[in-house]
Amino acid sequence: MSNAEQGGLKPPSRSTRIGRMLQPWIRRLALWLFALWCLFPIYWLLTMSLKRQVDAISRKPKFIFQPIWDNYLNVLASGEVWLFFQNSLIVALGTTALSLLLGVPTAYVLARYRFAGNADFGFWILTTRMTPPVAMLIPFFVVYIRSGLFDSHLGLILAHTAITLSIVVWLMKGFFEDLPLELEEAALMDGATHFQAFRQICLPVALPGIAAVAILTFLFSWNEFLFSLVLADRIQTVPVGLYNFVGYQQIRWGELTASAVIMLLPVLLFVFIFQRQLVRGLTLGAIK
Amino acid sequence: MAEIQLRNIEKRWGQFTAVRDLSLTVENREFIVLLGPSGCGKTTTMRMIAGLEPVTSGDIFIDGTRVNDMPARDRDIAMVFQNYGLYPHMTVREHIAYPLRLRKVPEPELGNRISAAADKVHLQDFLDRRPRALSGGQRQRVALARAIVRTPNLFLMDEPLSNLDAILRVSMRAELKHLHRELGTTTVYVTHDQIEAMTMATRVVVMNNGAVEQIGAPEDIYGDPENLFVATFIGSPPINQIRGRLAGGVFQASQASLGGFAKDISGDAVLGVRPDNVSIADRDADLKGTVFAVEYTGSDLLIVVEVGSERVTLVGDMSKRPRIDQAIGLKIDRRRAFFFDAKTHARMRAAL
Repeated sequence: MSNAEQGGLKPPSRSTRIGRMLQPWIRRLALWLFALWCLFPIYWLLTMSLKRQVDAISRKPKFIFQPIWDNYLNVLASGEVWLFFQNSLIVALGTTALSLLLGVPTAYVLARYRFAGNADFGFWILTTRMTPPVAMLIPFFVVYIRSGLFDSHLGLILAHTAITLSIVVWLMKGFFEDLPLELEEAALMDGATHFQAFRQICLPVALPGIAAVAILTFLFSWNEFLFSLVLADRIQTVPVGLYNFVGYQQIRWGELTASAVIMLLPVLLFVFIFQRQLVRGLTLGAIK
Repeated sequence: MAEIQLRNIEKRWGQFTAVRDLSLTVENREFIVLLGPSGCGKTTTMRMIAGLEPVTSGDIFIDGTRVNDMPARDRDIAMVFQNYGLYPHMTVREHIAYPLRLRKVPEPELGNRISAAADKVHLQDFLDRRPRALSGGQRQRVALARAIVRTPNLFLMDEPLSNLDAILRVSMRAELKHLHRELGTTTVYVTHDQIEAMTMATRVVVMNNGAVEQIGAPEDIYGDPENLFVATFIGSPPINQIRGRLAGGVFQASQASLGGFAKDISGDAVLGVRPDNVSIADRDADLKGTVFAVEYTGSDLLIVVEVGSERVTLVGDMSKRPRIDQAIGLKIDRRRAFFFDAKTHARMRAAL
């Protein structure tokens, strides 16, 4: 004890020691509470899908109830779910593919080449996001009816791409600007053409960025409701399809939530697949 | 193998001139070093040779062919970049194979050439690693292997050693020199490090402010500088400068008057003499001063002497270490002293 005092190092007081011991537990508690807060809607969705209608709309929310599979059986038996799912998949994948196909090369050119109007062009792309999408809905509708794009997968893909493209271009532009120029110059000196340098060097290195943008685009298109509702009729995507369960008289909560759970799974799968890609891509890093 | 000719090349960006009227012929098998402080245009010159930067005016010839408008990939030049320019997603093997694949070298031949190149730079054991898992020196070697594997006409190296630590730099220097002897490929090497330039070059091009100050063998650059810039830029510790006036073979400085120089040059001048060519003299001293500092470097003893308002450094004798503030006399080797015009900084040469 006297040693410690001489050295100016006092043992921590009792209260500090308790505080230090508790600190990691408090941190953990806070994280758990936050996780609970985030996951509660999912939990509610899952339990709701296993409830009878009376339990679902019970005035006092029921945490304990007799689970039933009827909602899932009904939904799967009607087969509609598969149609929604199929439509959404076609539209979301189509939108992702088209957005990346158009957006990534555009972003690369904007990031790497100096030409007259470069900055103006980039800004012009961004202006497409400066009006609320609703404002463009009616023009879209008119054009689609006249051109025959109404109620087609292609029509929805084009509409969704029109909305996502600017984000894809701007996110990827930033990503390409961060890549050292030396990479492409090294490729050129190795004997590559500009296009080979882009495809064989820049694209693979930019993969984490592309994966992130792909996830964003896919999720946007998968969740998009308004355009999908207005610009199509028989082709119903997941959000539009779910809306069917909301009737004039009643909301069929059981089937609605059961469908939602079924359709949530592929999205989770998609994100997990790309997330691994994302992490793999990030660890490639190290240029210097 | 190639000979490069630069004829009056210039590079301008708007009002700024990066390279001014530069002419240079690099002979086949030469190891040319472009040396100068940062921003002197040496890297820009190299990039113009590479084809990464278009020339504003002038012509570049490789083996007699004008290449001004030829894209980089057709010039058959390999380049080692300052930060190596390695591809993060490729293994060492893929790096070395890449230039060959682009040239459609048949796959069976690839293996041999990759291992031959990897052998030369001691990378055999690292072929399956990615750059992330390599040390700085190993990354440097990958860049080298990628450059030598396709036996190009010409090597360009842009400060390739500047990211390595001091010890590694010395050993890589020797390896690069050895590699050049072995391959005999014409090489243009950019650096701001005079030791690299002196040790590796067959000829050094000293550049400043976008223009060439002197082109010559390392011995000439050091022993026979064309102007004050070259004299001060080369040599460590730097050359001593004493201002004064030269007339009739006598150099009149503020503190002393030194005779015994050539009689046919005169005017306001700067006397330049390297620390190795100043010695301590007890009698007949040219300059008298007091010892300001004594620096022991290991191999040398540097003595800094204050002569009036100027300081003169000399390489002293290890066994005779002077005290600080001790009065001391200095003798200057007349044959190794240079005069530079005080205004133009050009060398003033006596007629022989």
